[in-house]
Amino acid sequence: MQAQPIVEAELIGHANSVPASGPPPLVEFRGVSKWYGPVIGVNEVDLELGSGITGLLGANGAGKTTLIKLLAGQLRPCLGEVVVCGKRAWSASAKSHVGYCPDADVFYEEMSGRRFVLTMARLHGFSGRDARDRTERALAEVGMSDRADRRLRGYSKGMRQRIKLAQALVHEPDILVVDEPLNGIDPVGRRELMDLFRGLAERGKSLLVSSHILDEMDTLADRVVFMGRGRVLACGTLREIRDMLDNHPLHLRITSDRARDLAARLVQWDLVRGVELRQTGDLAVQIHRPNEFFRRFGDLVLDEGLEIERLQTTDASAGAIFDYVTQEARKI
Amino acid sequence: MAIETLGYRGWSGALRWPWLACWPIVRTGLWLVLRRKVFWLLLALGLFNFLLHFAIIYTKATISVENPRAGRFLDNFRVTGTGEAYLDFMFAQGTVTMLLLAFAGSILVGGDYQQGGLVFYLSRRIDRRHYVLGKLLAIAAIVLMITTAPALALFLEYGMLSSSLDYFLENPRILLGIVGYGLLMAAVLSLLLGAIASWVHRAVPLVMIWAGIFVLLPVLGENLRHVRDNRLWRLLSLWRDLRMLGKSFFGSLRVERDEPELAYWAAWIVPAVCLVCLLLLVRRVRAVEVVK
Repeated sequence: MQAQPIVEAELIGHANSVPASGPPPLVEFRGVSKWYGPVIGVNEVDLELGSGITGLLGANGAGKTTLIKLLAGQLRPCLGEVVVCGKRAWSASAKSHVGYCPDADVFYEEMSGRRFVLTMARLHGFSGRDARDRTERALAEVGMSDRADRRLRGYSKGMRQRIKLAQALVHEPDILVVDEPLNGIDPVGRRELMDLFRGLAERGKSLLVSSHILDEMDTLADRVVFMGRGRVLACGTLREIRDMLDNHPLHLRITSDRARDLAARLVQWDLVRGVELRQTGDLAVQIHRPNEFFRRFGDLVLDEGLEIERLQTTDASAGAIFDYVTQEARKI
Repeated sequence: MAIETLGYRGWSGALRWPWLACWPIVRTGLWLVLRRKVFWLLLALGLFNFLLHFAIIYTKATISVENPRAGRFLDNFRVTGTGEAYLDFMFAQGTVTMLLLAFAGSILVGGDYQQGGLVFYLSRRIDRRHYVLGKLLAIAAIVLMITTAPALALFLEYGMLSSSLDYFLENPRILLGIVGYGLLMAAVLSLLLGAIASWVHRAVPLVMIWAGIFVLLPVLGENLRHVRDNRLWRLLSLWRDLRMLGKSFFGSLRVERDEPELAYWAAWIVPAVCLVCLLLLVRRVRAVEVVK
């Protein structure tokens, strides 16, 4: 299938580039395409993942789960290859490096959490005592040691998610792939899971977390991969991606004691595309080249002795950026 | 590129051969089945037949000691000790096996597809071959548990209660017959159940299909045999086909008039059924890739 010339290639190319001196990527997607009969799951994906938390974002049907299954070795690509730590993703040696936490949250309901994790450890090839030790460690890691003897049937959604994480961690993988972990979890549970993910990342694990709940990714993910219609639309840190969206000026909200004076000064700058003085006294400012703007704005504040009560970007969240990226993709 | 050159730490765990992962799959399968009370009920039903035979052997041995002539008289009946007796016993155990498997299919295999458990298996260091073999072995274990293990126990009991241990030396073919017939049933039934349960996940439809194969088809075959006056219609009974093939493991047993011809066709039908089941199973396991 012929790849379309894409505007987002700039985004992808920029974000994917790995410095020559940096560590090699843990995961590489090289020209990967996957079809399900006439339906395309992912389309010519080139992607590299390193350490830290990577958020995989996209609407339903964007190709997130297919991408994750390709990485977890559950699917083989029709074209290209997926390489995990130098091994093909579907090989047994690659699976040793990957812990997969699928979105399906039902399994053998009669089993206890401990038995489930132990079974998964044994399936991985660990012998009796080793499997038991690893099970206990994994359960302790997700904070389920004291509740692991209860049946899965009686677990809350959050507890099931933890047990699934435990089975994914039981063989101490380098890469943890988590599919839609925040679905159906209450805010407290979400926060606990996000803390758990951060803790794992701090301990050197690489996490790929897929979600269509964009808000959490602002604080959770070190970098994000936006997907749409089976393609990687953009990838990098949110700020990197936002900076590259030239067609969409950054929206700022500024609250100052001298809002009118500030508006008069800002409107003269070529970096500023629009200024609106709102009834609340706030300024709504649209800008280009944020780095340059913030440097000049800092100088202005110091020179004029302005008191700035609030300086807030209103469209730099994962959700807003995803909307922009999707709009750009639709233009192709 | 070697992983060491990429700077990643090597895998330090001592992992077992992937084919050994079949064992935890079997254990998990059996654990799931034996947790249900209905299975213990069916097992008890199978055990009842076993205990009956066990008691007959014991009684016969006791009577033979007390009165050898009465013992020789009892030898005229093929309830114990002979190849036919073990064949009949295993055939009779089949009823319980059928019932047990009908309910076990959805738990052992269907649930993995219905509830999405397959992804957990395949995320480990095993692939579809190991998974399929593990599941088939779990089903086979149930079949062997109901048919072969009790038959072997009876064989052992009969030999131990005989006047000498020569029974074991004189009847190696019976031992071969028990094991061979048991393995044949285990292989065919596991493939059949595995294939059906992978496509029909829910218990009720599965039981209906199972009943159709093992109850309706034999009845249909018998009726068609009378209507069409063609004994080949009896081959619609897969359980009978298995029995005819299983008989060959026991050596020279008494055969019915039309049995050699039917056995010939059964020798084609049973492998063909296995092949179709295997193809269905492989197709279904591959079809897991399809996202709905």
